[in-house]
Amino acid sequence: MKQAKLTKSDVALVLIILIGLTSAVGLVRWIDRHRPATASNIEEDRLYLNTATANRVSLGFKGLVADWYWMRSLQYVGRKFLNFEGTIRLDDMGQLNLKLLPPLLDAATTLDPQFMEPFQYAAVVLPAVDKDAAIRILKKGIAANPSAWKLYHNLGFIYWQQKDFSSAREAYAQGAAIPGAPPWMEAMKARMAREGGSRDTAREIYTRMYEQAADDKVRDMARKHLMQLASMDERDALRRVIEAYKAKVGRCPSTWRDMENVLRALRVTVDATGAPLDPSGTAYVLVKDQCGVDLDPKSEVPVK
Amino acid sequence: MATGLSNSDHSGSQRSAESPPFSGTLSRIYSIGRNTFREAVRDRVLYNLVLFVLLLTGASIFLGELSGGQERKIIVDLGLSAMLLFGVFIAIFVGVGLVYKEIERRTIYAIFSKPVGRGEFIVGKYLGLCLTLLVNVTVMGAGVSLALIYVSRGWDPLVVSIWPAILLIYFELMILTAVALLFSSFSSPALSALLTFFVFIIGHFSSDLKDLGNSMGGTGARWLFRGLYYLLPNLQNLSYITPAAHGQTPPPASIPAVILYALVYIAILLSVATLIFRRRNFK
Repeated sequence: MKQAKLTKSDVALVLIILIGLTSAVGLVRWIDRHRPATASNIEEDRLYLNTATANRVSLGFKGLVADWYWMRSLQYVGRKFLNFEGTIRLDDMGQLNLKLLPPLLDAATTLDPQFMEPFQYAAVVLPAVDKDAAIRILKKGIAANPSAWKLYHNLGFIYWQQKDFSSAREAYAQGAAIPGAPPWMEAMKARMAREGGSRDTAREIYTRMYEQAADDKVRDMARKHLMQLASMDERDALRRVIEAYKAKVGRCPSTWRDMENVLRALRVTVDATGAPLDPSGTAYVLVKDQCGVDLDPKSEVPVK
Repeated sequence: MATGLSNSDHSGSQRSAESPPFSGTLSRIYSIGRNTFREAVRDRVLYNLVLFVLLLTGASIFLGELSGGQERKIIVDLGLSAMLLFGVFIAIFVGVGLVYKEIERRTIYAIFSKPVGRGEFIVGKYLGLCLTLLVNVTVMGAGVSLALIYVSRGWDPLVVSIWPAILLIYFELMILTAVALLFSSFSSPALSALLTFFVFIIGHFSSDLKDLGNSMGGTGARWLFRGLYYLLPNLQNLSYITPAAHGQTPPPASIPAVILYALVYIAILLSVATLIFRRRNFK
């Protein structure tokens, strides 16, 4: 093949392309920097397509459109989360003003009613934003998947969070009746009726949520709740030890070393200074003047 | 188009290697089909596979961070939807040009100067493009399976369970190709592409047509919508992408019925296309 010769006009064209590309990048950067911030009322504007229309116009691509709504939900929550100054739990995001989350999750679950992950996300995140929407979405999921016991577990979780233990018991009872439902659903039904507000019930719920969750963030939220519950038990036990010390010596302990033998007898894990460790591995703080115990602010265990 | 029908095209060992294993009508259809496939390959139709591979590779790498642990489902949804979409574009844009290009280049005179029937020409063209789509769909299916193995870090049951859905996608594309060929037998490529795309859209609105028919007060309107529901291809029956992403397969009894429906519909479309094409005057 004959070698094509590079002419002057070729070189000029290549230069135009290179200069053009560089200018385009520079211009885009300048425009990005000078673009006025989107007004929050526009950013939070309702979805262009309502759920029914989205369902209709998605043709043979319903699953893909559902995935898109699902990922958009995650990005929406994630963006709000990153812009929030301070720490916030996944199940306590009411203050983030997640106005678009209910329609986004509603669209994802309408387009693909067998897509279980958005239902769990709705059960965990939505109650703090819009409790009724969370219940509505879960009930829609149950209507579409009557044999999915996990949805009853998610619905029961919403009711339990709202301290509506009789509705929670009802949800667990219906879920437990489904063939293939695990035995703990039946146990949960009994527990809701007997001791809905107890720590043990909370522990059971978050343990099951941790086991069932596919999303890392949901699992992490359940793990933190479990750590919090364990820490509450530990702090109760430590307070009893401190009270016993005070009753015996007549003053509050000045260091954890003062109670070293008792802590060892209780098989409490301690660090090199003798301070007991919370479930995240951070030492508890001894509140000397109040004869109390508290979490270290650096601890991963949530305070409330 | 080189139809492969001319005696001067073949000589010696090449002829024995390329000569069709059939005789008569089947032989002519085979030759036209084979050359249509070759032409599609020459026109770089299969280059869409490169784009598909890039899409799947990108999705496999980045979806983990975006999907909240749902990479497997999204890979299937994305892969099968892209397979359908790319296939629809090929069926429409290549399908509408199948007949038109031959007329435009005047090669149709050379073809019909030989003992080739117009029906044979239509069926051969159709089967050639179906073969192109088959290669396309098979390679894409293999790509989705490999992407699933990659994101699952090993064997995944979805690798097998997606194939019935892929089979149904292929039959949907076969129907669309027949629709495109039908329109192109009497209309211009642009109009044919538009009409075929409308049929694709309406085919996915079948249940709405039925609901609309049932909700109509007037008997005439009810019959009209019911008629449209039964006359237009029901592509919803062939759409199984969303359940496939959950590891579900169509009920075994329904697959043969759906395939039979597709074949019957294709036979109707090709017959109508042949009827129209037979009456066309190329002078």
